[in-house]
Amino acid sequence: MKLNKNFDRSLWVFHLNTGSCNGCDIEIVALLTPRYDVERFGIKLVGSPKHADVLLVTGPVNRKMLPRLKLIYDQTPDPKAVIVVGTCGSSGGVFYDSYNIVGPVDKHIPVDVYVPGCPIRPEAIINGVLKAWLKLERIRNESNKAKVIETAKEASS
Amino acid sequence: MNIGLLETGSGNWNAIIWLIMFIIIGISAIWIRSHGEDQYKKNTDQTKPFLSGNREISKEDSHVGASHIYWGFTEALKRYYKPMVALHTGNINDYSGWIILVMAIIFIIVGVS
Repeated sequence: MKLNKNFDRSLWVFHLNTGSCNGCDIEIVALLTPRYDVERFGIKLVGSPKHADVLLVTGPVNRKMLPRLKLIYDQTPDPKAVIVVGTCGSSGGVFYDSYNIVGPVDKHIPVDVYVPGCPIRPEAIINGVLKAWLKLERIRNESNKAKVIETAKEASS
Repeated sequence: MNIGLLETGSGNWNAIIWLIMFIIIGISAIWIRSHGEDQYKKNTDQTKPFLSGNREISKEDSHVGASHIYWGFTEALKRYYKPMVALHTGNINDYSGWIILVMAIIFIIVGVS
């Protein structure tokens, strides 16, 4: 089977827990088990945002994690996509009016894909990652086109 | 005649092969580097080390002094170290005094014997 061009590059994902109850995190880990096995598609969890294409954020963002969330977002190289996994990260969930919550995630960093659920199903996360993948491919194609146009302009001048 | 061949008995080393390997590895390294991510933003947090989302503390604060590394060693020999540290006052007059005192003792011993 020949894979289409969206599969020409593996998608590396960095998972950040900003105060989640671990329900969503367990579902993310389930993606790596033989039942779902996302690594066969090249989707891989990495240990550093500096190696990542996608930031996978869980949790409603508590005060302690806010500066870390912002720093990790800044440290992820461009082009990047942010996926919020779970209801807490999307809206604050049951913790929305807690004294210690400063979320949701999109209040502080731009979010590309929301995957709501408490907890989400692994299939929903895979769907979210694919949506982020398409966005990244679009950005890369636009960037490549811009580079080609720039090179052509330089050559003609 | 093999130029640059060194035989040690347990192996050999050839300058030409070393040079060829150096060039091949160097070109490979440059090629891999050229395929790296080039869209990162310079002079931002993207070029700083990742420390689990924590800010990098200053080099002075993160310095591990020799006293930490050799703690067990100095602790075991503290009966020797404590008087030695006390003798090291940092005053050159004290050190000169010690030299004169030790030399005087040596001359006395040598002269007596």
